[in-house]
Amino acid sequence: MAVPAARLEPALGLRKSGGGLARVFGPDYRLGYLFVTPIALAVLALVAYPFCYAVYLSMTHKLVGLPPVFVGLENYIRLYEDGFFRRAVYNSFLFTFGSVGFKLVLGMVMALVLMSNIRWRSLWTGVLLIPWVAPTVVSALNFLWIFDGSLGVLNYLLVKVFRILPQGVGWLSEPGTAMASVIAVNVWRGFPFFGISFLAGMKAIPAELYEAAAVDGASALQRFLYVTLPGIKNITIIVVLLSTIWTFNDFGIVYILTKGGPGGSTMVMPVLTYETAFGAQRLGEAIAVALYLLPALGLTIVVLARYMRKGRKR
Amino acid sequence: MRAAAGGEASESKRSPRAERGKRGVLRVQGPIAYAVLLALGLIVLFPFYWMTVTSFKGEDQMRSLTSMFWPRPFMAENYQHLVSKTEFVSWYTNSVIVSVLSTILATAVGTVGAYALARLKFLGRGFMASATLITYLVPPSILFIPLYAQIKTLGLANSLFGLVLSYPSFTVPFVTWLLMGYFESIPEELEEAAMIDGATRFGAFRRVILPLAAPGVLAASLYAFTQAWNEFLYSLVFITDARLRTLPVGLASFITGDVYGWGYLMSGAVLTTLPVIAAYIYLQKYMVEGLTAGSVKG
Repeated sequence: MAVPAARLEPALGLRKSGGGLARVFGPDYRLGYLFVTPIALAVLALVAYPFCYAVYLSMTHKLVGLPPVFVGLENYIRLYEDGFFRRAVYNSFLFTFGSVGFKLVLGMVMALVLMSNIRWRSLWTGVLLIPWVAPTVVSALNFLWIFDGSLGVLNYLLVKVFRILPQGVGWLSEPGTAMASVIAVNVWRGFPFFGISFLAGMKAIPAELYEAAAVDGASALQRFLYVTLPGIKNITIIVVLLSTIWTFNDFGIVYILTKGGPGGSTMVMPVLTYETAFGAQRLGEAIAVALYLLPALGLTIVVLARYMRKGRKR
Repeated sequence: MRAAAGGEASESKRSPRAERGKRGVLRVQGPIAYAVLLALGLIVLFPFYWMTVTSFKGEDQMRSLTSMFWPRPFMAENYQHLVSKTEFVSWYTNSVIVSVLSTILATAVGTVGAYALARLKFLGRGFMASATLITYLVPPSILFIPLYAQIKTLGLANSLFGLVLSYPSFTVPFVTWLLMGYFESIPEELEEAAMIDGATRFGAFRRVILPLAAPGVLAASLYAFTQAWNEFLYSLVFITDARLRTLPVGLASFITGDVYGWGYLMSGAVLTTLPVIAAYIYLQKYMVEGLTAGSVKG
């Protein structure tokens, strides 16, 4: 700032209007509150209120069209004893950590090759980002068709072209391959976000650090381990936490590919929430499914928000 | 970093090209880099290639598994069927209406809000900034049932207006968070200069900051548009009338297990993807510069 704010303010003549109120609410309180009111309304009406209502509904028996009956923690206790629900929790963790792990590795590979000396760097980057921007439903439908047991192109390639398999596999209809298939689609869609974030982080590392390390005799691998990785530590934490939340709550891919089947082998919590609410019409129990891991989600969000704000301030 | 100073001095004389090479972290060798890029590129593009090819194939060809990778004969029948025999045109219109209106709403609310949170000094600013960010992180899978109950109470269930009003639950925090970073990157001196020249704070925002932020605002609104365009869960739950569906829900409703269904499903998928790709061509440079959802430095 070229001019100290204190000397500037009288000259601007606009902080006068506030008087005593400005001392309490801050110098820009009028325009500030005016500009922030719409966001505050949106947050209250579309997130805060629905969230509180969800917590209340999760403690009721609520059938569609009937008033809710308060039952305390009964829904949660019943779910805890329900084997199908437990399996969905397990599946959700498997789906999330499997997906995030592969996305992390593939994203790192993507960032590293895009950082090396290649031609048409921006074209390559642009192409590799496409799965991230394409409509998820379209991608899921594409893979539903690719994975098709009898007419799908994946089986055609593996059986007729490369002759790796003797006969086609029902990728989404067999319990053994269904989970791996939905994870693969989630990874396909999500790894470019990891890649582009790592790329941005790597570009922000000052070249001098690498040069200094090279002068000190560090090998390429050592430079990666001791310069690159520490340099993108914060971005990695942010991206992993963000992707964990998104993946855990991913509904579209699993719903379109398997609807949780076969036999519940890919039933994850968001799909179970939907099925319980609109298939079985038990709203209270459905929301209890959605909110079951709320403490973990809340903790993740708080930690993540802290890192994201810290990243901005620098 | 004891060698940092010396290293800097000697390296700074190098050509920019040499510097770039140095920065190549764990420098992947040329041929390996291209091989990896080619493999990733194929994996990324194949589903879209396959979707396009399928959309021009006839039922006989799909059933007989002949000439897998090119339509023969090449036919536009799927597109004709899609337009004349399904509700696709209505869905397209619905998607345009919902996405455009909710984007305008989110951009207006998000732009002024982001400016206030990034620049103005008032009590509660930090709290609101945190609240907005946390809101952005709350997943829709928690909110869709209570939001549906709310929308129903307001008599907006099964209406496009209900979707227009609920999409800001994810677009507003997103646009705000993106633009806060953008406004923070504009030097504060510019506003101060305008105010010394007699502009009010609002005048400085409207005449100086807003034009400077226009590219960022456009990018954020395009992002919001693609998010609204791609949204699936709310639309699936809130809309029951088949004619009022948006594109993602409409397309998903084509899944019947019928062979011929794949032809027009894929032609619908092609037409649904096109606007997003158009928006993306403009957005690409912002994404590469790191103006993404997780947008952070270091």
